[in-house]
Amino acid sequence: MPPWVDFEPFIVSGLALGGVYALSGVGLVVLYRATGVLYLAFGAVGALGALTAWSLTTRAGAPGWVGWLACVAVAGAVTLAYGLLFGPALARRDPLIKAVATIGLTLILYGVMDLLWTTGGGQARSLTLPTDNGGFTVAQIQVTWTQVIALAAGVVLTVATGAFLRFTKLGTAMRAMANDRDITATLGVPVRRVEAAAWLGCGVLGGIAGLLLADLVALDATTLTFLVISSLAAVLIARLRSITVTFVAAIVIGLLHDLLTPIASLTSYRDMTPFVIAAIGLLVLSRHQVMTQSREEA
Amino acid sequence: MRMHIPALRALRTRRTIVLAAALALGAAGCSSSSSGTGAAGGSSSTPAGASSSPAGAGTVSTSQCATKPGVQATGTPIPLGAIATNQPGTSFTDIPNMAKAYFDCVNANGGINGRPIKLYIETEQTNPAQIAADAKQLVQTDKVVGIIGNTSIIECQVNSSYWQKLGFYVIDSGIAPECYSTPNSAAVNMGPRYSSDGAVQYALAKGVSKIVFDQANVPGTGYIAAGPAAVAKDKNVPIVQLTENVPVSDASSVAIKEVNDAGPNGAVVLNFTPPDALTILQAAQKLGLEDRVKMWGCSTPCNTDFLAHSLGPKWDGKLFVNAELTPPDDTNTPTMNLYKAILKQYGSSVQGGVGSFSQMGFTEAEIAVHALQSISGPPYTVQNVNAAFKAVKDFNTGMLCQLWTYGDYPLHIPNNADYTVTANNGQMKTAQGCTLISAADPQIAQYRSAAGTAANAPTSS
Repeated sequence: MPPWVDFEPFIVSGLALGGVYALSGVGLVVLYRATGVLYLAFGAVGALGALTAWSLTTRAGAPGWVGWLACVAVAGAVTLAYGLLFGPALARRDPLIKAVATIGLTLILYGVMDLLWTTGGGQARSLTLPTDNGGFTVAQIQVTWTQVIALAAGVVLTVATGAFLRFTKLGTAMRAMANDRDITATLGVPVRRVEAAAWLGCGVLGGIAGLLLADLVALDATTLTFLVISSLAAVLIARLRSITVTFVAAIVIGLLHDLLTPIASLTSYRDMTPFVIAAIGLLVLSRHQVMTQSREEA
Repeated sequence: MRMHIPALRALRTRRTIVLAAALALGAAGCSSSSSGTGAAGGSSSTPAGASSSPAGAGTVSTSQCATKPGVQATGTPIPLGAIATNQPGTSFTDIPNMAKAYFDCVNANGGINGRPIKLYIETEQTNPAQIAADAKQLVQTDKVVGIIGNTSIIECQVNSSYWQKLGFYVIDSGIAPECYSTPNSAAVNMGPRYSSDGAVQYALAKGVSKIVFDQANVPGTGYIAAGPAAVAKDKNVPIVQLTENVPVSDASSVAIKEVNDAGPNGAVVLNFTPPDALTILQAAQKLGLEDRVKMWGCSTPCNTDFLAHSLGPKWDGKLFVNAELTPPDDTNTPTMNLYKAILKQYGSSVQGGVGSFSQMGFTEAEIAVHALQSISGPPYTVQNVNAAFKAVKDFNTGMLCQLWTYGDYPLHIPNNADYTVTANNGQMKTAQGCTLISAADPQIAQYRSAAGTAANAPTSS
């Protein structure tokens, strides 16, 4: 086992990685709570937005802020378009079918990105934000403001969306609609409009996450599209309900993942961390639920 | 009986959780195969690409690519075939596409004894059954008489025995070990193992006290790692071998581990595709780690201006990359100018532009045309075309450090001398000229024992 001092830098990088997982995970739970859809294209729309931003800033010479806005706009527009086109048709279908449908969107977007932003000929891209140039040092490791922003964004997102869903009229309508669309409609809620707002909101979150993750992880269609799979572990532990639990689980997963890195015997297996923790979490939660039910029945 | 809404909701949630869990576990379970693809991707094996516009190409006439300038070749084409990986994240089609561009130039300037060359290009997605079927398609349906331009993650492994059985002597850009260790495949590039040897060798020459060699976790890592391990051992320098799942999503922790393991007088040598290498190097830069080791090295895939440009000036003179082919930015020779001119005039399908990928395609086509021209005339058959390929000896491609030889050997590593380039102002510039890859690598020693050292090879190693 390496000395404690060797672990210190990995606490910093682990928090940053946890922030990355949290950004995606929280976005997934927000949309699920609002629409009942597990939006597996969350990473792909973010990747599409980020690559669009790269093209605008690198190829077309647009200012950075234009690229950032375009990233959020593209992710929002694609998600909204998907929601408007397929949302009504899928509204009464099982959540499982809704989730599988978003895999279709993921694969289409992935194919489009591979076509438009090929990696053939050794092409590699990067998107850096001005906040990368500043920061502070912890445990001999430089922490950039982008990493701080990503972590803070996870916290702000958690608090803000929790409050939005709980205290606003639109948020309440979204939660009601996710529970039962028909009853919500009979109560006079404009379900199409509320759904559209939820899809747009999720797309915007996807765009913001895509922008930050392109900087923090990699501007690569494959990486960003499938990063959502690792984030699913945190979502699973939260059982698709609690935004706070998702955030905390994501941070814990990120920390544990990176703390395994300096341990020679375990480092090769560290990428399994999210899934092992999710499996353990689900087993513990299931056991707890069974015990609670048994007590209630007794 | 109708279920209560809360019960129904709980059931729906449970089913969604089950789906999500299945996806997550599926991803975990498939990690080796996805890594393989990615790696494949690439990886490790990926020949490098650089890109820039074909500068200077306008001043050279492409008509010198064949014997009868301006005369279009007619008659029955000479059918040749190629198989290249083309899947999301990994495309090697630039190599056969550039070979085709060269053949188009030859066809427009007299062809081979007046006959045009037709190159059939099959693409594959790392599926062995598909790759085997591609070979049969080329042989049985397209009736090709030679294979040139192959660049695939596993094609050599899948089809090696098939080519041997039929008597084909393949000219390719190698990735899998079988591209270098079998009698019927000769590559123009060095591939991941010998390129990594070159990168480690350069670091050792700079006096580092320790090597950390990190590569993509893909099939064949053990084979690749054996080369750098032998080269480092020969100099009594300790080496730490690491592998990472790709695409790399935790680059910060990877970079920290590499730097911690190497120490201030050590070197970190990477063997990844350009996107993954860029991810790790940028993470190191953001964490302020680029100065915490003596130097950073990289195998050929990092030899791309995309990477040098994306990294920026902080890496100037700190990152040293192995280059298997003559650096195009620094070179003003007739061959290099012809390559750029052909690329400009005929290479519209070559996406990466000037760079290692298209250089490899050009070189393979050059060798094939040289061999075909040695045949007295039609008919062009599997027997005489492959005999001509195998007979190529000491051919000056103008793109490699050494003369290129196929020959009748049990293994083929005809390109075993390298350049080293370094990031400089957004481009890769030559840091070290032609240097022999160390014979401390037992494979290199075995090849030189069988084939000797090329006549014009550099003497240092």
